[in-house]
Amino acid sequence: MHIDVGRQIGKDPWFITGISILLFLGFLAVAGPFLVPHDPYDISFSPLHPPSADHWLGTNDGGMDILSELVFSLRNTVIFGVTAGTAGLVLGVVAGLFSAWAGGWTDQVIMRLADIVLAIPSVMVLILVAAFFQPSPVVLALTLAGLAWPTTARGVRAQALTLKNSLHIKAAQHMGGSGRYIIARHLMPELFPLYLINFAAKTRMAVFMEASLAFLGLFDPGEKSLGLMISYALQYYYLDIWSNWLMPPIMLLSLLIMGATFVTISMEKIFDPRLRKTV
Amino acid sequence: MRIWKKNWSIPVFVYLAAALVMAYASFRLPNLLPGDFVTAMYAGSDVTLNAEQEAELRAFYQDTHGFPGYLRNLATLDWGYSHAFMAPVSQLFLQALPWTLLLMGTAHVLSTLLGFVLGVEAAWRRGSLLEKAVVGIMTVLEGIPEICSGVLLLLVFALSLGWFPAAGAQMAYADHTFGQWIADVAHHLALPLATLILAYLPGNFLLARAGMVMVLESWFVLTARAKGLPPVRVRYVHAARNALLPMVTRFGLRFAFMITGALVVETIFSYPGLGTLLFNAIAMRDLPLVQGIVLFSAIMVLVVNLGMEYIYNLLDPRVGHAY
Repeated sequence: MHIDVGRQIGKDPWFITGISILLFLGFLAVAGPFLVPHDPYDISFSPLHPPSADHWLGTNDGGMDILSELVFSLRNTVIFGVTAGTAGLVLGVVAGLFSAWAGGWTDQVIMRLADIVLAIPSVMVLILVAAFFQPSPVVLALTLAGLAWPTTARGVRAQALTLKNSLHIKAAQHMGGSGRYIIARHLMPELFPLYLINFAAKTRMAVFMEASLAFLGLFDPGEKSLGLMISYALQYYYLDIWSNWLMPPIMLLSLLIMGATFVTISMEKIFDPRLRKTV
Repeated sequence: MRIWKKNWSIPVFVYLAAALVMAYASFRLPNLLPGDFVTAMYAGSDVTLNAEQEAELRAFYQDTHGFPGYLRNLATLDWGYSHAFMAPVSQLFLQALPWTLLLMGTAHVLSTLLGFVLGVEAAWRRGSLLEKAVVGIMTVLEGIPEICSGVLLLLVFALSLGWFPAAGAQMAYADHTFGQWIADVAHHLALPLATLILAYLPGNFLLARAGMVMVLESWFVLTARAKGLPPVRVRYVHAARNALLPMVTRFGLRFAFMITGALVVETIFSYPGLGTLLFNAIAMRDLPLVQGIVLFSAIMVLVVNLGMEYIYNLLDPRVGHAY
């Protein structure tokens, strides 16, 4: 089944577009720091310089090279998204599988906890934490993950419950397979598509949150982030900077979120048997 | 977001617990900070406090009455004093709230209605070229965050073309008649509203369309068609009502996103709502104000979502009987 789905998804133009965008941006984020011409924290250039041969996108108000700043911002935004996405996914999968496998009271407690966490608007908690503690972005990403796991946990639990009663799991149980063995070798691999969808959706959400929080001024002002760049550039809207300073971070942020959106929507369409008909 | 199974009171407990968690976090977090955070925070702010104000603020954060006392203060609108704006936090909050409700409420109602109708029509015309184009456009729009669309709209329509005002919610000190005032408010509302609708519409559209496509496959729709009913009646009276349900279920999950977006959009257009107030409070490190806004917006979100739980059960009687 998975192989067939893999072939199907390879033909979906949305998926191909999305994954190409993400791979390109991922490459920029990883290799970018070695490619950029200047140190993004170097303030020795003349400020607000229009684009030139040395500074392709000019310099900002602090005399920093905008192109280098852009690449480092993208990198930080991607790191935030991937950290929150991975941590949220792992928490959700562990909670969901454990809940489904244990059943009974454990299941009840975990799921009620998930309900409560799901009801809390995560952006409010992040604002509170960021305003009081001014933590590093990694801590904020992990906080976000701590608030974002319940959706994954619910999805994983529901799928795991149907799997739990299937014949091959019963067979494994009767052969004397331990709970840990069955979870690790049967349940976890079979739910693989769910992980991909959830990871893409969570990363998308985290990138959106990071940009919004940075834009609202909740990050260290010295930090490089796409949201912060937009917020700074917007303060100089009356100068002729929009093409070289304001638009690049806007385009990159949109591309990043667009790529994740395309991949999520495409995977949801193909992996969800009910939705598959709607393709 | 359906957590109501056997007992109607379960959602109330869940949301109450969530509200208490938020309130407790807001109560405990300041005390977890090391050292004298009042001095440290306001050292990095534009606001200068005198010794008396600083002592007052410290007393405000001192844990004297415990959590019950804190809750009592919250209930009596005693949310502290904002030294940046020289006003009680509750007063600032209540001044900003109507504008946020106007902006978010209008955006939400319009984008839901529009998304629903477009989604139903698109599902009905599935496979046609127009439908494919619309789905494509909506998918692309779904990938553009409010920060980007908002800044672009601001640059093009307010700063470059000058068709709409770039900031505020109404003309200051203008001597307007009531009709002129309404027109003025609408004129100021247009751009932030357009940004939010651009952000909310695609999600609503895609959900409504997916739901409707599934409903259209069911037998009762075939029966309705076979009876020779007019297509509009089949679409809206028979099928679309069932496609509404997924939109309501997903509402709670989408709401957190919407709040984040609204905060950003208000800031971009300097709209005098809670988002802009929060932005200014953060910039000036005005802790009581940040806390007040965060806590009460969160509680409003919880109340709205709790209401949605019950609305869902009214809309879909099957849920109540299924368990």
